[in-house]
Amino acid sequence: MRVARLLLAGLRFHFKSLTLSWFFILTSVFMPLVVATVSYYMFRAGGKPGTLFYASLGAAVYGIWSSTLFGSGGAIQWQRWQGTLEVIVSAPAPFILVVLPLTIATSSIGVYSLTSTLLWGRFAFGIPFYLEHPLAFVVAVPATILGLGLLGLLFASTFVLYRHANALSNMLEWPVLLVTGMLVPLSLLPGWSHPIAWLLAPTWGVRAIREAALGGTPWPDVGVTLALGAAYLALGALFLRYFEVAARKHATLSLT
Amino acid sequence: MSAIEARELRRTYKTSTGVFRRRTLEVEAVRGVSFEVAEGELFGLLGPNGAGKTTTIKMLITLLIPTSGTARVLALDVVKDAREVRKRIGYVFGGERGLYERLSGLDNLRYFAELYAVPPRDQKGRIAELLDLVGLTGREKERVEGYSRGMRQRLHIARGLLHDPPVVFLDEPTIGVDPVGARELRHTISSLTAAGKTVLLTTHYMFEADELCNRIAVINKGEIVAEGTPRDLKEIVADRTVIEIEAFGASDDAIDRLRRAPGVTSVAVEEREHAQVLLVQSAKGLELTQSLLGLLDGATIGRVAAREPTLEDAYVALVEQDPEPGLSLHAAGAPQ
Amino acid sequence: MTAFFRVFFVGGLIAYRALFNWIRPAVYIPTMLIGPLFQILFFAYLGRYSGLRNDAFFVVGNAVQSSAMSSVFAGTMAIANERQFQTLSPLLASPANRFALFMGRSLPVIVSGLFVSAWGFVMGRLLLDFHPPLASIPALALVTLVSVVSGTAFGLTIGSVGMRARDVFMSANIAYYIMWLLCGVNIPLDSLPSWLAQIGRLMPLTHGIAAAREVAAGASLGSASGLVWTEAGVAAAWGTLAFTLVHWFELEGRRRASLETY
Repeated sequence: MRVARLLLAGLRFHFKSLTLSWFFILTSVFMPLVVATVSYYMFRAGGKPGTLFYASLGAAVYGIWSSTLFGSGGAIQWQRWQGTLEVIVSAPAPFILVVLPLTIATSSIGVYSLTSTLLWGRFAFGIPFYLEHPLAFVVAVPATILGLGLLGLLFASTFVLYRHANALSNMLEWPVLLVTGMLVPLSLLPGWSHPIAWLLAPTWGVRAIREAALGGTPWPDVGVTLALGAAYLALGALFLRYFEVAARKHATLSLT
Repeated sequence: MSAIEARELRRTYKTSTGVFRRRTLEVEAVRGVSFEVAEGELFGLLGPNGAGKTTTIKMLITLLIPTSGTARVLALDVVKDAREVRKRIGYVFGGERGLYERLSGLDNLRYFAELYAVPPRDQKGRIAELLDLVGLTGREKERVEGYSRGMRQRLHIARGLLHDPPVVFLDEPTIGVDPVGARELRHTISSLTAAGKTVLLTTHYMFEADELCNRIAVINKGEIVAEGTPRDLKEIVADRTVIEIEAFGASDDAIDRLRRAPGVTSVAVEEREHAQVLLVQSAKGLELTQSLLGLLDGATIGRVAAREPTLEDAYVALVEQDPEPGLSLHAAGAPQ
Repeated sequence: MTAFFRVFFVGGLIAYRALFNWIRPAVYIPTMLIGPLFQILFFAYLGRYSGLRNDAFFVVGNAVQSSAMSSVFAGTMAIANERQFQTLSPLLASPANRFALFMGRSLPVIVSGLFVSAWGFVMGRLLLDFHPPLASIPALALVTLVSVVSGTAFGLTIGSVGMRARDVFMSANIAYYIMWLLCGVNIPLDSLPSWLAQIGRLMPLTHGIAAAREVAAGASLGSASGLVWTEAGVAAAWGTLAFTLVHWFELEGRRRASLETY
């Protein structure tokens, strides 16, 4: 019960804090819109109009990914810079219960990006919006957010230790976008990259969302997304314990 | 059982320099610090910047793991039982940082109340009480980014006391707070020990240490150079006189000459707006004033006065000297 | 990408007291080399998927654009950081020639930008369907250099606006995103509505990228020279604007003591 309270309080608190941060919203919303726009132009120019909605959904999930990556990596760094990392580490609550709502809050911000990307597609490019399996869609979106948020937890756990870890997170944005088939189908990519894609929640999340909208079998994809999320949680919890102790040994909790 | 116990604490930092060819340097910030604080005591840790105060406290509040040595809070080891220790301590590090800027003071406190496991039904009341205690009632709904330095300081203190911890660590709690507010805060701090809490305080304000602390330890360059009650510390310099010289335009050379003058034990320089006040310590009865003024040839001299030494002078005497002291005081008793 | 912005702002800009702390390999390699590599791969593949199979188009566009990440932001920071760290006044109070001063700071940035672009070209050559003739390499280098200088000049302008305005990094980021859309990096200018294309022509990189594409396809430098000169002109224009603004704000700042108000 206390765990639920802590998670909910943390989620509300960090969601609010992130929403009020202009540069976070800017980078989480703007960049996906730019990528979406570029994709729309390219698809139109290449004569594949039927896929515009497909691209729209992919760009929307990219938005969730972008804010998760930026948020989870950047947020730990931001906490460090703000001086609050030490404060939350020294609290008696288990560290994972403090970090988890933070990363889930960052992926929840992806909702802004999802909405704006779809709206932008609809009104600036006339891309229609329809749902084959509305219920699945309504479930797939939070499942994707959750799955991505838990992946963010994995990242965040390493960022506690390394001061420059956010450079690594920056590096991951394009590769994950490419490999998980958000905009470029997996079939176009070399076969050896597919197993990597299968281990990443965004791959299944975007598949679930697309199949819910365009038709297909979304529910198994939702299941895999959540299962991967559970695996990330277990691994992240382990890393977090280890890295927190290491951070205290190497004095990397603060900037000085 | 002592509330806080530090034994031979050491902490080394590795820093690296250079851009392309990186060299690592090892800096020993804390070099074998030991002391004990009894339950209900208000203990002061004094020292100049860079002396190792913050590092020592961070080890005690479980944010840093000591390179060697042990520390216990309420008989719990700070490394092995970190979580249990965290439940029982509150700490207040002053300064601008450490709060969530975009949200209100109240939101911040509510969040921390959850983190510190304050029982839900007590949260509202406790928060209201603490806001009142630190004088922030009415301002709690404003965003922290708009808070003044002093207000942030008070919010920090409220945060540190949310879970009613038996041991509280305060790092320069009144810095940046206006005099009236500071006086109220000091009153609050002494009421903490009256309520049975143990408090470890660091401060730069000697009068504050003198007023509040039961015992004081002076730390310099990573080592404790003196420990005792304020009175004990004043005893160190009891056999001295302090000559205050107001000087305009005293050169560094002239001040060095003063330092080397026979009978002078230390010279501290206080910079005021247009002048400097030189605090010259020497043994009592030496009548050095004339010769000192002679050494300051070339500078204009204002007020000159001789007085009894204060705790501040004791502190200066302790930190201005080299680590091979001719002078020290440890808990066992009298000056050597 | 927002990557650079993140490295600096979120990474604790204030904490990193040195201006160019990012040179550390642990930060440089992921941000400046791995990131852009995948950016190029992504757009090349996206191009293939959308039926526009033309790896060369995307390699050139993104390789040149990836230099912008450092040149625009570093150009901005060269001035804005000084203000943030409050070293601007002492700096401007020195008798050093303004041009030399800021050009000096831009030099490592320009070198870095060239390096990043070169890396992009090489990777494109190795991993994608991009085969520029060997003879075109010197010309390509020259065109890229002009583009990088152009991007830096643009960055300096944004930075100089930062001498008076707050939140200069927001403007820098928005400008960066706009460049993404309007400079012909992945969308040819004639696909855009004409008014947007017009804006694109005023921005750095647009002509440089077009020239680079011609040269990489085998055209001689001479035939692309019109575009190269235009890019150089754009660079000069933005550079002049930057220095004018710096000079003007400096005078104003001295008069109104606003150099360090934030």
